[in-house]
Amino acid sequence: MASARIGNRIRRLRFERDEMTQEELAARAGCTRQTIIALEQGKYVPSVELAFKIARALGVALEEVFQYEE
Amino acid sequence: MTPLQKRAWWGLGVGLVFAAAFALVFTFMGGIDTFDRDQNFRIIVDVLWIGGLVANLVIVNPGLRKPGQLDERDRLVLDRAPRLQWLAVVFTLVAWVIALSEVYHATHLIPAVYLYVMFMSVLIVSTLAQSLGILVGYWRMNRGG
Repeated sequence: MASARIGNRIRRLRFERDEMTQEELAARAGCTRQTIIALEQGKYVPSVELAFKIARALGVALEEVFQYEE
Repeated sequence: MTPLQKRAWWGLGVGLVFAAAFALVFTFMGGIDTFDRDQNFRIIVDVLWIGGLVANLVIVNPGLRKPGQLDERDRLVLDRAPRLQWLAVVFTLVAWVIALSEVYHATHLIPAVYLYVMFMSVLIVSTLAQSLGILVGYWRMNRGG
């Protein structure tokens, strides 16, 4: 069976937004900085709710932040 | 390190100190016979194990109710921690049953005081395993598990 994973562009989008810090994004999205770190390193896949909150905090659509890779 | 992770480390550290103090006092100041007949010794032992449980409870739980202390990843770790707790409790009980069965096999009479000691040890192990389960949960999650 082919493995699927959810990739993201959080790190790049943060830097494109005046180098928004992980702390700031975490505060806006309502999670801890450690979760942002885990997401950027691809070690955690967020819930749909958190994914929407992160996209909203970055001011972009969900698909611009997260990609489904097969 | 997340707030939950910090509290788990503190909980484990304090829990281990109390557990070690409990084991040392129990082993070198009296043992099971003294525990059975000396009320003062029982009080010292009770203060140690109940003190350890209360200290762990105070360290690990209350501050986490404040908003922003836990997110979904922390809750996932918290939800998984009881798996290790359950295993630790089962193995402790198995060890007790085998040890007591072997030691008292000839007489078929196990002193009732062991019920109390088993109860104390299971609660201590369960509390330590909760903190350990949280730390293992973060470790596994950081490996992408």
